[in-house]
Parts: sequence; structure tokens; C-alpha cells
Amino acid sequence: MSDQRLFVAALFDPEAPCPAGLTAWNGSDPARRFAVYRNNVVVSLIDALADTFPVTLELVGEEFFRAMAGVFMRAAPPGSVLLAEYGAGFPAFIERFEPARSVPYLADVARLELLRVRAFHAADADPISPARIARALADPERLPALRATCHPSLGVLRSDYAVVSLWAAHQGHGDLAQVDPFVPESALIVRVGLDVQVLALPPGGDTLVASLADGLPLGQAAALALAAREDFDLTAHLALLLRMGALTALVQPTEA
Amino acid sequence: MSKSLTSTALSATALALALGTALTLSAAPASAADDKEKCYGVAMKGKNDCAAGPGTTCAGTSKTDHQGNAWKYVPKGSCEKTASPTSPTGFGQLAAFKEKKA
Repeated sequence: MSDQRLFVAALFDPEAPCPAGLTAWNGSDPARRFAVYRNNVVVSLIDALADTFPVTLELVGEEFFRAMAGVFMRAAPPGSVLLAEYGAGFPAFIERFEPARSVPYLADVARLELLRVRAFHAADADPISPARIARALADPERLPALRATCHPSLGVLRSDYAVVSLWAAHQGHGDLAQVDPFVPESALIVRVGLDVQVLALPPGGDTLVASLADGLPLGQAAALALAAREDFDLTAHLALLLRMGALTALVQPTEA
Repeated sequence: MSKSLTSTALSATALALALGTALTLSAAPASAADDKEKCYGVAMKGKNDCAAGPGTTCAGTSKTDHQGNAWKYVPKGSCEKTASPTSPTGFGQLAAFKEKKA
């Protein structure tokens, strides 16, 4: 193992001795200095997870969360220097984390929070112009084959649990005591200007947005949504997406 | 499978009608940044929207409360009315400033 790998291994193992060959500029004990550094690394990574997953933390409490984050952090140290991206594997870890089994919706709430952070840092993109839509409408026969490009911040989360209501209750919207966590909900996450928005999508709506995000043509996405839910309101959902600037382009298959 | 499903379940006309109506309904697209101004010296530490100088990169990186070179988006007109204990004027400013001791 290289010196650097030994150093990193010792950082993440509290039982490991101070790596050999360290010296302090002022002659103090390197083992003590290393312990301080190790503590700072561990605490800052757990703090980063707590900042990214605030509702997940509130659901299980500070003590449980920090212990769980510590186990995750030692198993999966950051792979990137961008701390904002740290924790991408945390929801999947929570799902497998035995002590969290009694809170089955915890992993999906963490997924929602991760999508919010991604939306926050996603690139800007101009919404599709009304003129472009007008041009598409002028040629209705080709409309079903068009594909929509979604805003880079857009994400859809389909859950067996009431993720949106749970998350919203922790933002001061709605009463947590009234939320039944076992009602399936789907979330639409998209950044409008500088604000990341989280909306509940009804059945059908989640199918439409997920299909568009997957790059399916408009006609097929709408048909799948109608198949998922007979009374699906296509107009209202398209209006919602346009109003939020969630669609940025319409592409002919030949243009792609 | 998709082709027959598309043509049976939803005609091109129905889709055009839905999109046309949606366009009308959404006539005023939401825009956030237009009615905001950058305000220096009012953000709590880590809550700045951007710009905080050497040693930090961008949003959420300011190291102290009311840091003079970190700004936050606030509603237009409200910046110079927002108290900032580190600002020489006592309020937020529209440009970066050197903090006085709070």
C-alpha cells in the first residue's frame, strides 16, 4: 500500500495507529495532531450528510442519524472532491441498514432530498419558447412523434410511501400527525429560477413526466399516462410543466 | 407496441388540443430572479447564495454570519433596509464591503 492509501485507511479507522513518518512543524506529538485531523474529517463528512438530508435526520433524530451516517461514511468515503455530491449512495445504504428497518420510508425520503440537492446544483436552461410550441402545433400530425427535453434539474420519484407529504410536513406544510406514511406518492422535483420545488404528482402524472424524462415521444408518454389512469388530465399536466419551465425543447426524431 | 397504443389511445388532434390549451394556461411562466437583488452582508454563515472570495467556492460557503463579501438574493428594495451588524452603514449593501467588528 502506498503512503497515501495507508494515511487514508488510518483516517477512517479509529483503531488504526497514527501513520508512520508524520512530523509536526513545531515538534508536537504527530499522533495527537493526526487524531484531531481524523476527527475533523469524520465530523465534516457526517455534517455534510446532515446538511443534505435534513428531513431524514429529523425522522430518526440526531443521534441515530449521526451513527448511521458514520457507518455509511466509513464504508463509502467521498469519491469526488465536490462535497455537495457526497451521499449519492446514502439512500440505498439506508434501505439495507438493518437498524433503520422500522422506518421503511426513510430511504425514499432521503432519495427525495438527494434529488433536491441535485436540482439545486443543476445547470440553468431556458424554458421552451411559446413560439416553438406554436410551430409544433401548426403541424399536429407530427406532434405525437416529438420528444421533449426536460430541464436539467428535473427529477421524478415514485414511492410506495407518502414521501411528499412527509417531506412537506417537515417544512411546516401540513400536520405530520395527519400523514399516513403508507399511502404511495410520487414527487416531481424541479428548480424554478433559484427555488427547488417539490410537488406531488397524481397517478398518471408521474407516468407522463417519467416517460418524457426517459425520452419517449409525446404521444407515447401521453398514452401511457392515460393507460395508468383513465381520468388523467393531460392538459393540466402539460400546463404545469410549461409554467414551471420544466421543458426546454421539442425535438423531431430526425433532428435528434 | 408503442405505435398502436399511441394511435388508438390518443389522436394527434387530442394531443394538439391539450398542448394548445396548456400553452394558454401557462401564459405567464414563473421567473424568480427578476424581482430579486444581490445583497451583501446579510447572509448567515453557509447560507449565502454565491460569491465569498478566497478559500470558498460559491453558494453556502461563507464562514461567518453577515460576511461582507457574501451575497444573498433578497426581494428588490429590501437589501438596504436589512440590518447587518458587520456593515459600516448598519444595513445590507448592494456591493461587497469590508466588515467592521460586529
